Amino acid sequence: MCEVNALSMHSGAVILGGHSVWRDATFTLDSGSITAVLGPNGAGKSTLINVILGLVPLSEGSLEVLGSPPQRGNSRVGFLAQSRHADELSTLTGRDYVGLGFDGPRFGWGRDRAKHDVVQRALALTGTASFADRPLRTLSGGQRQRVALAHATVFRPELLLLDEPLAGLDLAAQAEIVDLINLIRDSTGAAVVVVAHDLNPLAPIVDQVLWIARRQVRSGSVEQVVNEEVLSELYGHPIEIIVTPRGRRVIVGLEEELAHPHPHGHDHSHEGAQHHVGEPHHEESL
Amino acid sequence: MSLHELFALSFVQHAFYAVTAVALAAGPVGYFVVIRRQAFAAHAIGHVGFAGAAGAVLLGLSPIMGLLVFCLGAGLLIGAGAATLDDRDAVVGVTLTAAMGLGVLFISLYSGYANATYSILFGQILGVTWGDVGLVVALSLGVLAVVSFAYRPLLFASVDAQSAEARGLSTRAMSLLVMSLLAITIVVAIQIVGVLLDFSLLVAPAATAEVLTNRPFEAVLWSTGLALASSWFGLFLGVWLGGPVSFWITGLASTAYLLARMSDAFRTRRGHRVVA
Repeated sequence: MCEVNALSMHSGAVILGGHSVWRDATFTLDSGSITAVLGPNGAGKSTLINVILGLVPLSEGSLEVLGSPPQRGNSRVGFLAQSRHADELSTLTGRDYVGLGFDGPRFGWGRDRAKHDVVQRALALTGTASFADRPLRTLSGGQRQRVALAHATVFRPELLLLDEPLAGLDLAAQAEIVDLINLIRDSTGAAVVVVAHDLNPLAPIVDQVLWIARRQVRSGSVEQVVNEEVLSELYGHPIEIIVTPRGRRVIVGLEEELAHPHPHGHDHSHEGAQHHVGEPHHEESL
Repeated sequence: MSLHELFALSFVQHAFYAVTAVALAAGPVGYFVVIRRQAFAAHAIGHVGFAGAAGAVLLGLSPIMGLLVFCLGAGLLIGAGAATLDDRDAVVGVTLTAAMGLGVLFISLYSGYANATYSILFGQILGVTWGDVGLVVALSLGVLAVVSFAYRPLLFASVDAQSAEARGLSTRAMSLLVMSLLAITIVVAIQIVGVLLDFSLLVAPAATAEVLTNRPFEAVLWSTGLALASSWFGLFLGVWLGGPVSFWITGLASTAYLLARMSDAFRTRRGHRVVA
């Protein structure tokens, strides 16, 4: 292979608290591609992000992130956390928050002269300059998410991991964020991994899908993964996909996957805080 | 006695240097305590220090050594046990209660407790010696150096722990660092304002600063400036008009907070809230 993949996992498996989260995950993500990570709550989507970030080790298999083993604090990897409760209370301005994305991890007394310009460019790219001097808590959900994207990309990462960036946004704001993700990919060339629970808003920009369910991971193009055959096999029972006239996919038959991923109901502390395990989702419209 | 003569007295000079040093450390450290919503921890560590000081007095040791050992111990315990928000209050509360129990025991065992207890609880600013000043200045400068060196990572971990963790900062290490700095700052603050009033220099100026500005660095400057101003004017009023200096310092710091909140509420109601 002449080009280094942004990410390549071979037979990866994760065990957390004595339970297998997923195993035998083999996939590669191209540089500059956008990948949607889908699957039921508690399936291990956030765990995958934590593995890539180097916060959770693989128990088996191998992973290369930008050509090297995963490494905590890799300055080539950007990350947008799922829920940032602090934002709702924070009096911090968007500009200062983006600035922390640039030099927040750095100790020392000196000031980086480049900071102002770099932050300014990130604000311009994400269209946040006009409200960057307002406290985060006064911004709308969509504005806050744009600022968060500026924060996650200000240091020009080559791989960008976004955990549920569309959660809690209305449809208009979702569409804006999807456009922005595409714009960031185009202008920085970063590979982007987006965890989501609905493929439809992302479908226009997605190159590849990773579907995690029942401890298995399937990867491929939207057509290769999101079809009745693959999903039925993945879930172990018949799944129907209805494509609406406007091209949106409604997936029927996922309701049986609502139960805990672990049959004995053990709490999954890593996931439990972020995923509403057991919450009734009678249908995931994908 | 004129003001000039008053400030020529050595015990007033000692007090002046001591409050200045304490305010320089308490302003910045207090800011991190306030944005991390850990005022309760500041309260608890002070009370734990009370047990340490009482224990040291009982053993015939210097109270400040007891303070250092107990405050640092409590700070590290709280920092390690409460790195995440989830169980913070419980960890702090249990640490606080256990230490206060010990403090009560030590005091009951020590026959001449009244004076020692009083000065630990309410401070004894005008009884500060040159030796105390040296120690207070050294500790404060140390705290100031570390806070400024770790300023950005501390801020990052305080406002967005998950991102900071992903970028390679240890949330736990930052939590331990803040709590250690807080513990040392409380040890020096207790020399001046006592256990019960350490909030006046640690929390009140920082909380006022948070109302006054949204910019972190400006807030640190405001917090430090307000801590200095309350200390200097408090010392001045105490010496000039009489009354405990710690009362004046506390009164000024709290009044500043009240005024800031009132003016903020007024601006908000008139719809002229300054957001930049």
